Amino acid sequence: MLPLGFVSAFAGFAALCLAMERHHGDALGTRRIPARRALVLRVAGWLLLALSLPLCASGWGWGMGVVAWCGTLSAAALPLVLLLSYAPRLITWLALALPPLAGLSLALRTP
Amino acid sequence: MKGGFRQSMAWLHTWSGLLVGWVLFAVFLTGTVSYFRAEISFWMRPELHAARVAPDAAENVLRRMHALAPSSSSWIINLPSERDPLARVFWRDPSAGGNRFRRAILDPATGEDLPARETLGGDFFYTFHYQFHHMPVLWGRWIISVCAMFMLVAILSGIVTHRRIFADFFTFRPRKGQRSWLDGHAVTAVLALPYHLMITYTGIVTLMLMTMPWGVQVAFKGDNQAFSATVFGLERPSPRSGQAAPLAPVMPMLDAASRHWGGAQPGRITVNNPGDVTSTVQVFRVDDDRLSVNRQVVSFNGVTGAMVSASGGNRPAAETRGVMVGLHRGVFGGGAMRALFFLSGLMGTVMVATGIILWAVKQRQKLGARAGAGTRLVEVLNVAAIGGLPIAMTSYLWANRLLPVEMAQRSAWEVHVFFIAWGIAAMHPLLRTHRRAWVEQLGLGAALLLLLPALNAVTTHSHLGITLPAGQWALAGLDLLALGFGAALAFAAWHVGQPVAEKRHARHPARQVNPVPAE
Repeated sequence: MLPLGFVSAFAGFAALCLAMERHHGDALGTRRIPARRALVLRVAGWLLLALSLPLCASGWGWGMGVVAWCGTLSAAALPLVLLLSYAPRLITWLALALPPLAGLSLALRTP
Repeated sequence: MKGGFRQSMAWLHTWSGLLVGWVLFAVFLTGTVSYFRAEISFWMRPELHAARVAPDAAENVLRRMHALAPSSSSWIINLPSERDPLARVFWRDPSAGGNRFRRAILDPATGEDLPARETLGGDFFYTFHYQFHHMPVLWGRWIISVCAMFMLVAILSGIVTHRRIFADFFTFRPRKGQRSWLDGHAVTAVLALPYHLMITYTGIVTLMLMTMPWGVQVAFKGDNQAFSATVFGLERPSPRSGQAAPLAPVMPMLDAASRHWGGAQPGRITVNNPGDVTSTVQVFRVDDDRLSVNRQVVSFNGVTGAMVSASGGNRPAAETRGVMVGLHRGVFGGGAMRALFFLSGLMGTVMVATGIILWAVKQRQKLGARAGAGTRLVEVLNVAAIGGLPIAMTSYLWANRLLPVEMAQRSAWEVHVFFIAWGIAAMHPLLRTHRRAWVEQLGLGAALLLLLPALNAVTTHSHLGITLPAGQWALAGLDLLALGFGAALAFAAWHVGQPVAEKRHARHPARQVNPVPAE
């Protein structure tokens, strides 16, 4: 499924960028990140990025899925960069809210 | 040039990019819109918008072909699909000019000719992106091949030059003059880096038989037809016997071919020597359900309808090329995949544009009024390419709606309008100050794009008010994208027109930016 793969990649990139001091400052108001939180964000970020690969492959098969995954990563990072510049406070909310919403919409669609 | 590996790479990146930047911009933009080539072609022929896919299209079309071209040596029939619900047919005719093929568009439900306005449609952008127009085809392909090789050099040296790929991965700082251009260039480059490498490399591969023909020349001793027959499964035509025999029904052949492919759909039929005892029918698999573009063909005896042979099990080298060409064209995987390719292509276009703008901005900031003719030339070319090409492309769509349908040489005139508009856009920045030139061209491009749906509403019956409720996304999409791009250009024009931001930065010309592609 593209939406789930996309959402997972977006949340992953968001976690990775929140683990960086400058962006943490933009999005949450303080540059200081507790060490544990930084670690959790980093691990969660890489896991979510990795998770988006099988999510892409589940809709497209592995051959096309890998191609779609590359495109999905680019497509997910771009809005994040724009949000960081123009509406950084939205990032945390979107990253937290989108995955459950995407999962819910999928669950409602499949009978 | 200072010593050091990174500095040399920075130098290489700057000059390999700048030298071919304008060509690359045009290739990237026209290539990117070509992902929607079928949709553009369909949009540009409003007479066909009512056509719908029919299940027995092949029978209807073949019946009509017997009347259209009974004595032709071959027919090529592109079957209708969801993306393009029309049957496009070609047949060999020695009396036809040019490539000795005649063509027609047939209604899949009845087989009758559908009269549509004469236009090149999206094919114009598509062929322009690898061979230009108004110049010998081989010249254009050579120029673009060489530019693509420069592009590959620019990408690889750019990766070395960009020291902070991970630290600046998400960084874009707007309204900061030169710094913003650098950020924009780096972000669009890094975020879609796999795409940029893939599209440039596979682009070179699509033209490799021209740029590096020696292997084929040696192996096949210069016999290109034998090469095509071996690698692409294209049969040599055999002469007609002169003994008439009716063509067997085609639907069972299509079913047999589909079964042979495990359920995949046929996309094209060719018939050689129709109506003759020597007739053969080749059924080609659609090419949008897998990565490789290599043809998968099942051949039938045209009189008995018996399956004769099936090709498509490729050796690794041919399959590698097939996958690379497939990756470049991005026809597989449906609409969502095409949207992803389109977005990455746009990022590539922006990467090239910000790169050549960055060079001019930096020169201007370093030298100010002392900047010479070289800087001025780059600035003029930047406006002509980045501001002018969208104007030219949109003018082409306007011409499609405004030129009289019965006009002689109509499709050629659509192309003339494209080049006239681009020519004027290339002259215009010579007469204006740099900033005025940007504002005026971006503004004009925005106006043309934003008004395109309105023009479409006035001149056709398939405008947004009809296509949106009917869910005709192929048609509505073009209008909606025009609105989106128009809004983006309008924002850019407004942004360039703000004098304040520029002055603030002009006061700090010495502010150092980080990874300087130094000379």
